[in-house]
Amino acid sequence: MEKELLQEDSQIIVIILIAIMVLLLMAVSLVLFFFFSRKKIIAAELEKANLEISYQKDLLHSTIEVQEEERKRIAQDLHDAISSKLNVVSLSTNFLIDGNLQEDEKDRTLQHILAVTTKTLESSRRLAHNLLPPILENFGLQAAIEELCDEFICSQKLQIDHNIVYTNLLSKNNELHIFRIIQELLNNSVRHGNATKVTLQMNEENEQVFIKYSDNGTGFDVESVNKNKGIGLKNIESRVDILDGELSYDSKIGKGATFNISTNTPKQ
Amino acid sequence: MELTRYLGFFSTILLIVNTILYLKALYENKAFKIFTFFLLISCITQISMIVIASVFHKNNLFITNIFLILQYVVLSFFYKILLNSKWVTFLLFPVLLFLLFQYLSDTSLFFKYNGIGMTVTQLLLIVYSIKYFYNSLQEKDSLFIYVNIGVFLYLICSSLIFASGNLIFDINIPVKTYDLLFKSNVILYIIFQILIFIEWRKNYYKKIHRS
Repeated sequence: MEKELLQEDSQIIVIILIAIMVLLLMAVSLVLFFFFSRKKIIAAELEKANLEISYQKDLLHSTIEVQEEERKRIAQDLHDAISSKLNVVSLSTNFLIDGNLQEDEKDRTLQHILAVTTKTLESSRRLAHNLLPPILENFGLQAAIEELCDEFICSQKLQIDHNIVYTNLLSKNNELHIFRIIQELLNNSVRHGNATKVTLQMNEENEQVFIKYSDNGTGFDVESVNKNKGIGLKNIESRVDILDGELSYDSKIGKGATFNISTNTPKQ
Repeated sequence: MELTRYLGFFSTILLIVNTILYLKALYENKAFKIFTFFLLISCITQISMIVIASVFHKNNLFITNIFLILQYVVLSFFYKILLNSKWVTFLLFPVLLFLLFQYLSDTSLFFKYNGIGMTVTQLLLIVYSIKYFYNSLQEKDSLFIYVNIGVFLYLICSSLIFASGNLIFDINIPVKTYDLLFKSNVILYIIFQILIFIEWRKNYYKKIHRS
């Protein structure tokens, strides 16, 4: 009888011991679970960071490419529009000094020199203007965009329907970004899209600038463009990134393209 | 019985070694200082318990009771820094008030295992340690993670051991059976101390030797 009681009481201890074992097992599995989850989370974060780095590299790459292309363009322009014309001037002047020219020939050569210099002056002004439009500095973004549109209308036979409402919401630097984006969009429409008609709307609301741009060009396949973006689009994207804004675009082959851009940076 | 004594002796040695190591390091870190203080208290408690039991042959349980309260307070401050949360201090006062009420209403509790009180304090510490696990999920190597594992494992099991501690006063249970509980507690305590040592070796040994 006493022995039985003894055993019964010991059983409590045994149960407690089993409970401790179970608790220990659960605790250890929780600790293991913690370590494995941590490993997984850190791996995922590392991957994210690597992706970010590769994106940054890509951006840097395209920036350098854009820069090189721009340099090439400027060099070409300088060569075509200025150097060659100045060569003509120099040659003609040499003729005037050395050659025994008739009065009327002299007169003609001088007229020619004057015409060429006037043209060269005009070209150099246009070049400088293209690099950094003075109107943006002096008269603000709205005037600059309107002038840009007028230029396109005059020279490219493009019909632009523009409605621009803007009141010094952004800093000078950001205004330049907006200007460049619109310049790039117009260039793309003409160069790649062969568009004849463009609609540009810009307005502001709650300290945000909204731009809606659409053309009637040949358009592009959004999916293939997403996979392999051209320099122009990358350029627009990185500028929108700097503005801390949002960019969305839609297009179908043969049906033109639409771009929506909004900024999020209030005036600094 | 002999084995339990040796294990107990071994765990005390480990505790003393850890305390000396942490005291020597005394790193410029509030959590580290508090934890060193906790080790110091544990060390004093352990030694005084051995002295009272073996020299004076008296019931040393009241020291355990005091130590468990101190452990709760010190580790609460420790986790308050690690978790950076006000809640830890908010909870400290009501729990201490509850314990005060418990011991005042029944002073004999000092010479027994206070099952409810101890479970409450230890469970709170376990919750803090789980919260710390959660917080350090995103960090590659966080400080005191090994100590945290030790606290978690030791407290989760020892809370059950302490809660059933009063069974020792049940004369029907043979000492030999009860010894199993003591043994498991001591083994867990040794694991706890080893984890504390790993923490020191991993995070502080190098820093000390670099400076």
